[in-house]
Formats: sequence, structure tokens, C-alpha cells
Amino acid sequence: MRPVKIAMLSLTHGHTRKYYQTLNDNPKLDWVAVYAEDETVRKNFLAWGYNVPCYLTEKEMFEKHPDIEAVVMASANIKHIGQFRECAKRGIHVLCMKIPTFDMQEYDEIISLVKESGIVCQVELEMHYNPVVKRLYELAAANVLGKISSINATNITLSPIWAFPWQGIPEDSYGKRIKLKKGDHRFRGGALADHPHIFDLIRWMTGSDFDFIYAEAGPNIRKDIQVEDNLLVNGKMKNGVSFLLDPSWSRLEERLKVPAPGWEIFPKRMEVNVTVSGENGIMLVDCFGPNVYHNGKPNDRYTVQYTYFDEWIGLMDEFVSCIREKKTPKINLEWHRKTIQAMNACYDSISKGNVVHI
Amino acid sequence: MIKQNMNVEEALAGLLIKYEIKPVKPFHLEKKKATEGLVLLPGYEFIEQVTGDNEIPLLPWRLRRKFVELKKIVDDSVIEDACLYRFCCMGSKDKWTLASLFYRELDLFEFIGNSRVTAVNTIMADNEAGSAIATLESGVICSIEVSTQVPPGTVMVDRHEIIASRGVASDQPVDTQVPMSSIYCYTKNGENRFTDTDFELFDLDDLQIDQVRSAFQVLKNPDLGKQWHKQHTHLMQLVQAVFESDKKHEKIKI
Repeated sequence: MRPVKIAMLSLTHGHTRKYYQTLNDNPKLDWVAVYAEDETVRKNFLAWGYNVPCYLTEKEMFEKHPDIEAVVMASANIKHIGQFRECAKRGIHVLCMKIPTFDMQEYDEIISLVKESGIVCQVELEMHYNPVVKRLYELAAANVLGKISSINATNITLSPIWAFPWQGIPEDSYGKRIKLKKGDHRFRGGALADHPHIFDLIRWMTGSDFDFIYAEAGPNIRKDIQVEDNLLVNGKMKNGVSFLLDPSWSRLEERLKVPAPGWEIFPKRMEVNVTVSGENGIMLVDCFGPNVYHNGKPNDRYTVQYTYFDEWIGLMDEFVSCIREKKTPKINLEWHRKTIQAMNACYDSISKGNVVHI
Repeated sequence: MIKQNMNVEEALAGLLIKYEIKPVKPFHLEKKKATEGLVLLPGYEFIEQVTGDNEIPLLPWRLRRKFVELKKIVDDSVIEDACLYRFCCMGSKDKWTLASLFYRELDLFEFIGNSRVTAVNTIMADNEAGSAIATLESGVICSIEVSTQVPPGTVMVDRHEIIASRGVASDQPVDTQVPMSSIYCYTKNGENRFTDTDFELFDLDDLQIDQVRSAFQVLKNPDLGKQWHKQHTHLMQLVQAVFESDKKHEKIKI
């Protein structure tokens, strides 16, 4: 199979660095260029030592590399629409970060752009390529617990906003500056906007969609940021399964400008745990465990050092195979639309202070 | 409950195709199949015999992510000046012997400790359990507890802890005794646990994954096979010393 000539856009998304190794190692990919949004981002990229040309404008990169077939759109949410328009015009396939946009009109425009240009668009929900999640889906499909009654899931992390500032700027993250609720000083676009995975996971596991949702944001743990940093969500799926989700930034962090060892203050910087209760029993799942542990440098704090399998390997394998074999990705724009819709419903619920039917 | 249907040789062949690695000779991951070509098996499978050119003793645990990370913690001086290692490894006798457990743990001590074992003192009991105190060239010491008295079908119970002047590292979280799993399932059939660590080799068990990953590395980099061959010769000497120490009731210097 001819390797896909691939580039990266912007390099400002929190997941950017996760792609480097796969883009470099996967023989089905030919990593030809990157575009860095500014000089600092460019310097950070060059420090990794990859022999890949780095440009400071998208235009220059595309002009110098007219053979680019696909891009990893590693940019702030607000940039996605413009980059989609450019890629669709050029017929370039897109691996988009987890939130294409929260604006449903824009979202539908992206769907049309992709459809009309015939490009492949895969949305990056990397947990589908996590072996523990794969086992979880298999156990659910094998009906091990019988009829499922409830699914509770956490997707809790530290806040990435010090390293990736756009995630703390309401316009850049949510697309608009919308108050969280009347009388609240905060705006949409924080922790919830960073954590779509568990909303997606529950749809896969139940084969159902959201019926109604209730969400409540607590007072911020970090008093000096503009967006919400913790919230709880509960509700029911259309098939009657109840759920409780925690998509918070409830693990404190050192305010580093570049992610590095010692970023975490709480020992485990990221957790996706799932509890499933069914008529035959219960299941407890830690999608990122077990690991190894230390209390060494730089801060002598007890720390979880992760050992989970690189999810970006399977993710890129699927993207390449969709391009070359003209297949539709599992997480495509149409599928993902209902996940974004549910996340918007959470913001609406916080704003209204009540349940929102979907 | 969930069927395991991937063969280790097919799994390895799949990885070789995916990463465009062309092995120089045909390969086998099972002894009984080997008529020609390379035989890639965990080194302890060759303890009782002299290995030929086509027999590659693998050190599969070196590819297991938790040991890679522990080594990284030591190599990067995340914990500084390691002084004392505490290893424990208990496996069932349908898969393990005292010799194979010592072989694995001594290699891990040298691998993570970046040094050679120079002395060992061992005490065995009933040919099924034993302990050793091993010393590295640097003076760093390690206790190794092993047993084959875990019932067949039980997963291996192991623990690896490194105590340093600055910090402690371990493959078990604080205040626990047994390895954790990723998934715990409690139904009327009792408790079932799952720990899946490899998306590309999904459905293989831990030992199979380690064997496939290590064989892949050797086929990708034949020099590694040569290095491991040398290390195997050294480990056989260490394992011999382990048993000699027990027999003579004295510390054996290597």
C-alpha cells in the first residue's frame, strides 16, 4: 500500500505530541510537513528532533508540498471550520481533533464540505483504540452483565490550559463567549469541552442515544480561570439506561507552559473509570491502569507513570485504511454529531438549572 | 467467556507485515514445530540445553511496558541512587519452575539495575519455593522471592520495588499486596478479571504478548538476538549459582 503523505496543522492542540511517534514510525504514513502557529510552537516542535519541515503559515506548507494527501488538524476548536474549508477545497483528508465545533450550523457545514469534496474525515476519539475499552465493549456485546441498568463514568484530568491556553479562552474553545448561567462569571468551553469520550462511550455501549440530561457545575477549583473546571452530569438513554458522568478538570496541576514530568499535583493526572451495573452483576473498569508508581523527581510526589498502550497507533491505522480503501471511519462526523449535541445539552442544562430533553 | 483465537506465530507474522520487516529466515515460536529456521522462545526454555545458532533465547519481560517504565525511571534518574531492590514472583507450576522464575527475576534485576550480579545467596524449600539475595557490581542488593505453589490457572503474582536515596518506584501502588487488573467483573459466576495491554495483539495473554513483541524486536534487529544469546549464557551461570548456593549453604560469587 502506498504510504499516505500526511502533515499536521497548527500544533496547538493538547494531543499534538501524541501523534509524533506514530507519524514517524508507521510505514503506511509519509510524514512530509508541519505547520506551526507561531515561533514558540515551532521551537517546541523542533526540539523533538524530527526531520520534518516546519512552516509558519498553512499556505506556504501547502504550496511547498502539493502532494499532501491528509492532515492531522491539531488546532484550537475555533480554527477547525476555516481549516476544513481549506482542506475540502484542496481535497485533503482530515483527522480532526475531538471537537470539530460546538456550533451546530458550522457542524452541518463541515458535514457538507466533507460530503461534497469526497474527503475522509475521522474524528479523533482515541479511546476506541484502547485495549481495555475494546475488552469493555466485547464484554458488553457478550451480554456478560445481562440487561444494563446504569453506566457511571469519569473522565477527569488536570487542566491543560496553562500549556494550551486556547482551552481556557471561551471563544477559542467553545466558539463563542456564552455565560455558563445567569449571574455566573464563567463561560462555556472548559472541562466539559475537553471531555467528549465518555459521552461517546455510553452511546457505543448501549447502542442507544441520549434521552434527557441534567448537568450542574460546581464552584471552580481554580478561581482565576474564565471557564468551568468541574461539573457533574446525569440522565437517561433512550433505552432506559441511567448514567452519571464526571468530565471535570478535578486533578490539580503545576502551571507549566510545556507538559513535562511533574505536571501533576494529584498522583494520577488522567482517569477514565467506568462502572457498569446490570441484572447479572457489576463491572469496574480502569481504562488507564494498572501502571507503575514513584515518588521521585522533579517534585518527590507520589506519581502514576502510565503504561497504557499507545492509542494513536490504532487510530492512525484506521485513518489510513479509510483513505486507501475508501471506507467511512467508525467515528465519523454524522455519528459524532449526537455526542456534540449531548454536550451542548449539558451546557443548556447548567444554564437553565434543569433537565434538558434531547 | 471470551475466546482466545489468535495464534502467536500468526500474530508475529501480522506485525512483521505491518511494519515491513522481512525476517532473514523462517521462524517458529513453539519448540515442537521447529524443523528448520529460527526458534524464538523465552530463554528459560533453553536452560537444560546448549543453544544452537538457530535457537534464540528471548528475554520477553524486557519488552513488558511496566518494566520498560521502571527502567526508564532508574535510567532517567527520576529516582536517584537506587540502593535496594525487592522482587517477588510467584507462578503456577504448569507454566513455571523455580529455575525459570529465578532466570526472569535475575535478568530483570540486571536489566533495570544496569549492572551485573556478582554474588547470590539462596535458600530453597521443597523444590517449590525459594529466596535469594543478589548483589550487583555496584553493591546494590536485591531480594528475590519465588514460588511455584500458586494453583494452576492463577495469574502470576509479582511485585518489583526499587528503593533509592531519592524516591521509591514500584509496579504496585502504595498499600496493596497483589497486582491490579483493568477490569473486575462480579457476576453469579464469581469474579472475573481482565487486563488488556496491547491493542495490536489483543486477545493474546501476557506471556504470549511478551514473546511476540520480543521476537519481533529480534527479527527487526538481529544484533539484539546476539546480545540476548550472551546474556542467556550469563543467566544460565547465575541460575546454576542459585542452586549451588542453596545446596552448599553459602554465598556464591560469580
